[in-house]
Amino acid sequence: MGMADVSEIAPAPQALGRSRRRHGESVVKAVLLTAALLSVATTVGIVAALLEPTVGFFTHVGIVEFFTSTDWGPLFKPPSFGVIPVVTGTLITTVIAIAVAVPLGLAAAVYLSEYASARIRRVIKPTLEVLAGIPTVALGFFALTLVTPVMRDWSPFEISLKNGLSAGLVVGVMIIPIVASLSEDAMAAVPNGLREGAYALGSSRMTVALRVVLPAAFSGVVAAIILAVSRAAGETMIVVIAAGSNPLFTVNPADEMLTMASFIAQAGSGDAPVGTVAYNTIFAVGSLLFVLTFLMNWFSARLVRRYREVYE
Amino acid sequence: MNTMAGSLSSPPKTAFDGPKAPRDPASLDPVFTVSGLSVFYGDYEAVRGVDLNIGHREITALIGPSGCGKSTVLRCFNRMNDLIAGARVSGKILYYDEDVYGDHVDPIEVRRRIGMVFQKPNPFPKSIFDNVAYGPRVNGVKGDLGSVVEEALVKAALWDEVKDKLKASALSLSGGQQQRLCIARTIAVKPEVILMDEPCSALDPIATTKIEDLMQELAREYTILIVTHNMQQAARVSDRTAFFTAEVDDTGVRHGRLVEFDETSRIFTNPVDKRTEDYITGRFG
Ligand SMILES: Nc1ncnc2c1ncn2[C@@H]1O[C@H](COP(=O)(O)OP(=O)(O)OP(=O)(O)O)[C@@H](O)[C@H]1O
Ligand SMILES: [Mg+2]
Repeated sequence: MGMADVSEIAPAPQALGRSRRRHGESVVKAVLLTAALLSVATTVGIVAALLEPTVGFFTHVGIVEFFTSTDWGPLFKPPSFGVIPVVTGTLITTVIAIAVAVPLGLAAAVYLSEYASARIRRVIKPTLEVLAGIPTVALGFFALTLVTPVMRDWSPFEISLKNGLSAGLVVGVMIIPIVASLSEDAMAAVPNGLREGAYALGSSRMTVALRVVLPAAFSGVVAAIILAVSRAAGETMIVVIAAGSNPLFTVNPADEMLTMASFIAQAGSGDAPVGTVAYNTIFAVGSLLFVLTFLMNWFSARLVRRYREVYE
Repeated sequence: MNTMAGSLSSPPKTAFDGPKAPRDPASLDPVFTVSGLSVFYGDYEAVRGVDLNIGHREITALIGPSGCGKSTVLRCFNRMNDLIAGARVSGKILYYDEDVYGDHVDPIEVRRRIGMVFQKPNPFPKSIFDNVAYGPRVNGVKGDLGSVVEEALVKAALWDEVKDKLKASALSLSGGQQQRLCIARTIAVKPEVILMDEPCSALDPIATTKIEDLMQELAREYTILIVTHNMQQAARVSDRTAFFTAEVDDTGVRHGRLVEFDETSRIFTNPVDKRTEDYITGRFG
């Protein structure tokens, strides 16, 4: 509409009419718009697909039972639908993973961006990113056949053959590259003038990294951690293999546990007929995972807005 | 005077106060004695064989055409060049009677004692208060930071403009205010020397005048080195001027050289070297 207005106000004698290139541009614009709409539509589609069976689920199962009972066995007879054990299972493995990945990933990022020479960085960073490409099945067996036995040999405490600790640790290893690589990108984007200013005031390298660079890269670092948390909470294969499938209500990481993602995989690979409560349960848990992840994103966006340091 | 120079490997024992000693143009009471200074970036010798004395509580201007090595030389005084991979220094820079590049010298202590203000104002993306408090904090100053911050902002002639918004972001200030904030940030560490690399080149004339006045004021307490492209500025503010230029050697490589160093009045009215005269009269080519 802007176009039309302009030509009405100022009718040009010639040469200001539409050229052929303009048509090409509108085609490009249409293609891009389609792509954008497609991704929105996909998201809406996913939500819609989750919604219908989720609503179906809650017509059979009370919302109070779902959120307060600690008994989870939707595929048993009689079934029980207390989602708490699956949520705690997810929380425990995710917290362990984050406890591993955030310190190590941030340390790696600080090293790469503030300490390493350009040559070392050129070698280490791609190597780290290759780590992110290891199939999670392999990592799952690594947890089950190496990490767990070693822990069972050395730990003074009782550790189950399948346990949340081992799964969480290895999920943590899996997401280190995400934290490290994205945080390093954020830190590398901090203007060099800030570093020079800090050094010129008598800062050590560590001080520059922790007091100037890291705070200035705060929003990027938080984004990296959020992505890592989402990956950890949604990680399935490692948890299925190493943490087991017994939905114990426990806070002891050495116990076997079921997570939301591993429940979905477990139930989804069974033969629950479409439309049954067992089938709908999968979607209810999926919706819950979606909502929890969404809430975390929303919360951290607020956090970032509150604490970030804007440079430029 | 030399009692003021604590060892560079330990914190200083004295603060600066008292009136500025009257300048004696003929005699120079040196804070820095530079001899045979060459600076290399990898294999490239960017600056060759500089001999220079920096007078106590004087303003020394480093001038010369672009690329002649003024910044390179300036960054030797507080060892900022250490941070550039491949940069190397030969020759000597004595700070009082201590070698800045000596084996036992701690570069962090050097930078604490010899502050620096950069061409582009580079306040941290923190509040005004936190910017000024940064240096004292990282140097372990305890107690009332509020008064340290206020004192530094007063000395940097910025206090009246920011006293009601110390919590505001430093980036909400104008360019000139940001540069004075950077000066305040430097002063808050209580350095003995302040290095300034074209501190006004990103500022408008009014902000420039303010910073020049400030430099004059600060020279009562601090030894100041300033790199500038602005001849009038060098003439207005400095006590002594060092003129650098780039010389091509037998192998066709350009090196920065110190051409002439003298009292500013002499450099601008009666230079010895033809190249200095050409440069200050704008006939440089
Ligand atoms: N980090 C660096 N690595 C390699 N060479 C450099 C580096 N910094 C400066 N040089 C070179 O050293 C020489 C002197 O540079 P310097 O920045 O000291 O000049 P300058 O006199 O400050 O110039 P200007 O007035 O433009 O700021 C130049 O040839 C420059 O290319
Ligand atoms: Mg320069």
